Amino acid sequence: MSDEIEQELKALAAEYALGLLSPAEARAFEDLMTTDPDLRDAYAEWVEDFVTLTDGIVPQTPPASVEKAIEAQLFPQSKTVSGWRARLGLLPAALTGAVLAAVVLVAFDFGPKGPEFEPELVAALGGDGDSLRIAASFDAETSVLRVDRAAGTAADGRSFELWLIVGDNLPVSLGVLPDAAVAEFVLPAQLASGAILAISDEPLGGSPTGQPTGDVLAAGALTPV
Amino acid sequence: MATPAEIEDLIGKMSLGDRRAFSAIYSATSAKLFGVVLRILNNRADAEEVLQEAYVKIWQNAGKYQVNGLSPMTWLITIARNQAIDRLRARRAATSDLSEADAIADPGPGPEALAIAASDGERISACMEHLGPDKADAVRRAYLLGETYEDLAAHYRIPLNTVRTWLRRSLQNLRECLST
Repeated sequence: MSDEIEQELKALAAEYALGLLSPAEARAFEDLMTTDPDLRDAYAEWVEDFVTLTDGIVPQTPPASVEKAIEAQLFPQSKTVSGWRARLGLLPAALTGAVLAAVVLVAFDFGPKGPEFEPELVAALGGDGDSLRIAASFDAETSVLRVDRAAGTAADGRSFELWLIVGDNLPVSLGVLPDAAVAEFVLPAQLASGAILAISDEPLGGSPTGQPTGDVLAAGALTPV
Repeated sequence: MATPAEIEDLIGKMSLGDRRAFSAIYSATSAKLFGVVLRILNNRADAEEVLQEAYVKIWQNAGKYQVNGLSPMTWLITIARNQAIDRLRARRAATSDLSEADAIADPGPGPEALAIAASDGERISACMEHLGPDKADAVRRAYLLGETYEDLAAHYRIPLNTVRTWLRRSLQNLRECLST
């Protein structure tokens, strides 16, 4: 390529970066770029240079309403972390000491007692009188989380889905509860301590979005035995 | 402020649908991007809407980030800048009847152009000085005010083809200076 043509193309890349080309010219330039890596580089070089025209612009914190509007637009059906916290807050009894103690007992009395399953952590999801009551226990040695449902069945055409919530992270699905009362899930041991387990009501087979879509029916924290 | 490597990592996570990465990138970069769109649009309500549009684009296009070869902050600022310029041009088109009279009466660099002149990075600033004040001003007007060749021709009261020729030559000189 002659220097002159190269210079012309570089100027064209600058005009494209500035937005000076007509729509038809801009499209033609984009087509050229897809096949010409030098042109892509020339464009990138200009953009890196022009962007320094904003170096002295002082950052301004946008109002909080903007982030809310963006999240509402991008994630219309999801529950935000704070939303989850608020909903878990509706289940304070599940986290009180008295209920925990009671459920720890439940876990020992009725929980599965395989010879190799020695839980270090337990959680009670739902308390006395709740329609859904689950005792969960976790054995760090084998990374097995055992879930024992004492009460509650999913409605027709619905599933119970088990979620793990670590710190401020979004819930991670551990899977749908099978019909059997006792089920096992595998959970990385380093995530388990202090994490919250929650059950939500979901369409048959589990949440289509990867995040809880239905009501939280029960929740509890994994705490040392 | 997050490092470029951290922002790049967050863009990668966003492309996999990680909403926490989106929140993190928003916290780390929204003030800069809002500053830029506010400067371009000079109107808070418009700037808030454009910031929203920009972050929606950023989320949707995160997967294309790796192929365009830009540094992460450049990529983010460019999306916001382009979105703001689109808005500015639409606004200008909608009020062109009113502003045409103003444009003709405009004697020289307006107050907004003077305000933006002080905000350049050092390297481009030095090379812009070599271009001469009118040409440097025209580049800034195009980048920060979204002015087209038509706008520039009206502003400098020279024919469209002439403005295009001298701006292209200026850009070639600018590239030469920036490359040395």
